Amino acid sequence: MAHARSRRAFLRDLGIQGAALPFLLNLPSLGFANQAKRKQRLVIMFTPDGIVPPTFWPDEEGTGFTLKESLTPLEQFRDRTLILHGVCDKIRGDGDGHMRGIGCLLTGVELFPGNVQGGSDTPAGWSSGISIDQEIKNTLQAAPATRTRFGSLEFGVLVPDRADTWTRMIYAGPNKPVTPINDPYQMFNKLYGRTKDRESLKSILDDLQDDLRKVEAIVSVEDRRLLKEHATLVRELELELKQGETRDVGHAVPELEPGVKAENDNIPHISKMQIDLMVNSFAGDFARVASLQYTNSVGQARMRWLGINEGQHDLSHKPDSDKDAQDKLTQINKWYCEQLAYLAKRLAETPEPGGGGSLLDNTMIVWTNELGKGNSHTQDNIPFVCVGNGLDFQMGRSVKFKKVPHNRLLMSLAHGMGHQIERFGNPNYCGDGPLTELT
Amino acid sequence: MQTHQLTARGLARRLAWTVLAGLGVALAPSTARADGSPSGEQIYRQRCASCHGANGEGTAEDYPQPLAGEKSVKKLSKLIHKTMPSDDPGTCSKEDSDRVAAYLYDAFYSPIAQARNQVARIELSRLTVRQYRNAVTDLIASFRQPEQREEAQGLRAEYFKGRRFNDKNRVLQRIDPLVKFDFKDASPDAETIDPHEFSIRWEGTVTAPETGEYEFNIRSEHATRLWINDPNRPLIDAWVKSGDDLNHRGSITLLGGRAYRLKLEFTKANQGVDDSQKAKAKAPLQASIALEWTPPGQVAEPIPARCLSTGKAPEWYIATTPFPPDDRSVGYERGTSISKEWDQATTDAAIEAAGYVATRLGELAGVRDGAPDREAKLREFSKRFIEQAFRRPVDDGLRQRYIDRQFESAGDPATAVKRVVLLTLKSPRFLYLDLKPQPDGYDVASRLSFALWDSLPDRPLREAAASDALKTREQVARQAERMVNDPRTKAKLHWFLFQWLKVDHAPEIVRDAETFPGFSPEVVADLRTSLDLFLDDVVWSEGSDFRQILASDTLILNGRLAKFYGADLPEDAPFQKVRLNPEARAGVTSHPYLMATFAYTSATSPIHRGVFLSRNVLGRVLSPPPEAFLPFTPDLHPGLNTRERTALQTSPEKCMRCHSLINPLGFSLEHFDAVGRFRGEELGRSIDATGHYTNRDDGTISFEGARGLAEFLAGSDDARNTFVSRLFHALIKQPILAFGPKTPARLRTSFESDGFHIRKLVAEIAVTAALEGTGTSPWTSE
Repeated sequence: MAHARSRRAFLRDLGIQGAALPFLLNLPSLGFANQAKRKQRLVIMFTPDGIVPPTFWPDEEGTGFTLKESLTPLEQFRDRTLILHGVCDKIRGDGDGHMRGIGCLLTGVELFPGNVQGGSDTPAGWSSGISIDQEIKNTLQAAPATRTRFGSLEFGVLVPDRADTWTRMIYAGPNKPVTPINDPYQMFNKLYGRTKDRESLKSILDDLQDDLRKVEAIVSVEDRRLLKEHATLVRELELELKQGETRDVGHAVPELEPGVKAENDNIPHISKMQIDLMVNSFAGDFARVASLQYTNSVGQARMRWLGINEGQHDLSHKPDSDKDAQDKLTQINKWYCEQLAYLAKRLAETPEPGGGGSLLDNTMIVWTNELGKGNSHTQDNIPFVCVGNGLDFQMGRSVKFKKVPHNRLLMSLAHGMGHQIERFGNPNYCGDGPLTELT
Repeated sequence: MQTHQLTARGLARRLAWTVLAGLGVALAPSTARADGSPSGEQIYRQRCASCHGANGEGTAEDYPQPLAGEKSVKKLSKLIHKTMPSDDPGTCSKEDSDRVAAYLYDAFYSPIAQARNQVARIELSRLTVRQYRNAVTDLIASFRQPEQREEAQGLRAEYFKGRRFNDKNRVLQRIDPLVKFDFKDASPDAETIDPHEFSIRWEGTVTAPETGEYEFNIRSEHATRLWINDPNRPLIDAWVKSGDDLNHRGSITLLGGRAYRLKLEFTKANQGVDDSQKAKAKAPLQASIALEWTPPGQVAEPIPARCLSTGKAPEWYIATTPFPPDDRSVGYERGTSISKEWDQATTDAAIEAAGYVATRLGELAGVRDGAPDREAKLREFSKRFIEQAFRRPVDDGLRQRYIDRQFESAGDPATAVKRVVLLTLKSPRFLYLDLKPQPDGYDVASRLSFALWDSLPDRPLREAAASDALKTREQVARQAERMVNDPRTKAKLHWFLFQWLKVDHAPEIVRDAETFPGFSPEVVADLRTSLDLFLDDVVWSEGSDFRQILASDTLILNGRLAKFYGADLPEDAPFQKVRLNPEARAGVTSHPYLMATFAYTSATSPIHRGVFLSRNVLGRVLSPPPEAFLPFTPDLHPGLNTRERTALQTSPEKCMRCHSLINPLGFSLEHFDAVGRFRGEELGRSIDATGHYTNRDDGTISFEGARGLAEFLAGSDDARNTFVSRLFHALIKQPILAFGPKTPARLRTSFESDGFHIRKLVAEIAVTAALEGTGTSPWTSE
């Protein structure tokens, strides 16, 4: 792969021999591909149960478009937004619309036959392929220049504690669903646990050394040697911990508000905590790929904080003629869009470490859904709303495709992240390659 | 200075030192030099020894430090010339100083001299890796419900009609010895269960015979999930059936000899929307389930009933941090050295354990978030944690350092507990055994538990120590007798016996398939089980007779082994006692697993067999071969049988120094081929299995065949002495002679008078080592 090449290989290809190396390496003007390339990041954000098309899709194409009610929170990022209409999930096979909707959304391939029975259709199991975010992560992790501590981080907001086809979107491979981390405290431990452990360790070393001296005095002269050796090792540990302080995480460890329980009414709270942790993890370059999954396919969030007491999935089944329900669904999707806007805002406010601009300049968020519309369960016109300049896509546009398979968009994401794949998922839907209208 | 106060234990060490150093002196020349001037040794005797001791060991009154260090002869000489004797410095001439420095440097000062003069002493030891893992596991388990052992083999099974595991659906309860069912398209119980949809739950424990990584495998066409040890997270979650893969695997590291909680669920129903009515319209599907495992270094097999029980087990904490292996250079694992890697591992393992405890504080310390007594309870938890880890009560000083300071500085009590755990598990008081020079009841308790279990004292032992009930030999012996019957002793003995027999690392045995068709990995795995069951059967029988291990005429075989070895059992027979070639075969030394381990791919190896018998069974010291040899291949000398070929290759005199001992021992097993099958002849000639043993006094004992060898070994003093000292070293991890020069003979005598009872010997060793230095004699006769 072009970007994974080492300096040494690069120099070797230039035909420069060892003797010339020291001179060459001191020349800062010689840009190496690895270093000149910017960090690119990709975030997939998922919300369930379809959208309300008339209050979601802009009427216009091109740069001069008006944001409809559901998307109004994006006004401040209008120039950095790309709205893709006409992308369709064409994957069929076992499983009901919701199962296929979430299970094939990022994998572009059919579900295996299985024992999970939906409201219609045949029962199904897990997806039979890897999801695009994991495919990209694996590529990034394979190259030293783009490798990070975690590669990817999977955030969830109130994803039910139940592993089935409706609750899993990310796949590490066929039959390998990845469980998102729902609990901000668990995510915090994953990100900062080592830092906290080092702090605790540092705090006990004085007492440990004191006690080692005491114990040393008790044992016989011959045995003292071993404890002296032990004390030396503890001193070395102390020294290493001190040296480690300077090359810690590179940013202030965030403080989490304690005791936020995983409950429906805390969704706004948890959403904010998870977004803040994600932004921090990017600032520390812990990962270049992330996902943020709100509830699940068939998700039943009750957005009481918007004055909506019904579950989202129940509402999504109401007919188009039910204006009250459609209004509520519009409000619900607008609230999700606010979360997207908050994430974009936090990324825009955070400077890119070691580079110019902000994190948002190098990050693209893709907001998507398992259905085009809840009451019809259609997988045509799946929402794909992109924000940020992480990929070299031409932003600030509304694009309307003529029913292109979503596999082609998934391929575009890989290409945009520097991974030139020729097909992804079911090859029958990859024929024309990545979408050409994006860059 | 505390060194003036020579303790009993310290005195014992010092005395042992002097005895041997004295021997060294007796052998050293002490005469004057040829020119009549005094030698370095004479000068030392006359002018130095009164303060520094006859061998530089120091004297309590004048100069307690031993003369030992790393200065050069030259530097020593200068120092002596300048500072000695201390009451009249400068009176030792330059020449005399040179001589005396050269003498003492070689005699006892230099590190090399120190090493040469080293005698057996009880060295300060850290926990070995095995001890560390067991100790942390038992430490955390002490805050949980204890294990409830049950005799019944197999698992408790509940059968449910339909998809829900509830009382209404439960129609059948029974004990299933194995999970290996093929229901086909029918019902497990036609009367109560419809074949279209049913569910089953199995619960109980699974015991891991050895420490290592176990792979579990569920084979089923339907939804299944399996929990091992951790009740909250399934090891295998195949509840969503997806695709046509029948096998679902998960791996977990288990400590040998412990029972682990096991729960397995199966359902033939779909999940999600209830489609049971629709399902009933169709023909019922096929259904089967098998629960298999692959123990470390073994092959996959259904988990046997002997490893399953209907009892209950606590969740065990199992540290996953890797440790560097312990030093085994002296023939047994010991903890007398430390390294950077070891220290790093103790840090990582402490962090791992602290994280585990911190996330389970509610359960382990019995506290709720926000409860008013939360901090008090967490302090109490910390105190108990430290007391158990340190194997003694916490005094004020320790409480302040280990608890109060952590609670004061940490900010919140949960972080404080985390720090307490870190500090405790990094503390020398946890990591080292026997720190106190003056052993008390708590030390006796700890010595007993580490000797027998490689772990911490349990509650009865702690209580005995606290109530001063570990004073007399009888009290200590009673505890040892109780403790010998614990599964942890069983695990440790199993570990020792496999080491003794040189099969502890599950050797990979691959045989030439053309010569030995049917000698499959499954047969090899069964052989290991057969050996394990045989040893178990002897050790845990009433007689527990060491001689039975060496000379028993039974083997334990199952159907598969019986078929291969030609015994008369049905093909699916479980393991049972069998007499196989009883005229020729006897005891563990001709067990087919050992015979196959000490053999080449197609030929036997009398040398490997003989070396094993010489070293491990008879305790003889062999030097390595003078150069590296490849065994003669059979085709090089097609007319020679193995015995003749071996004799030919080792005929040079330099070889015979050892091979005159090795070969005749190995030859006696020639009736057993490279897979341990009996053979009457090789190359058309009948086997010559005569052999003999040359004992330490050059006496010769002759015998014929494996049975002759076994009978000789069962009566051999060398074999008994070797077993006693090897067992001692495995249990105590200190040299047996450090416990007094008479200890080996005394233990041997009591072994004999107990009818060579292995379990009694184990207890006797534990008691002997536990009482060392306490003032109570371990010997009943004194």
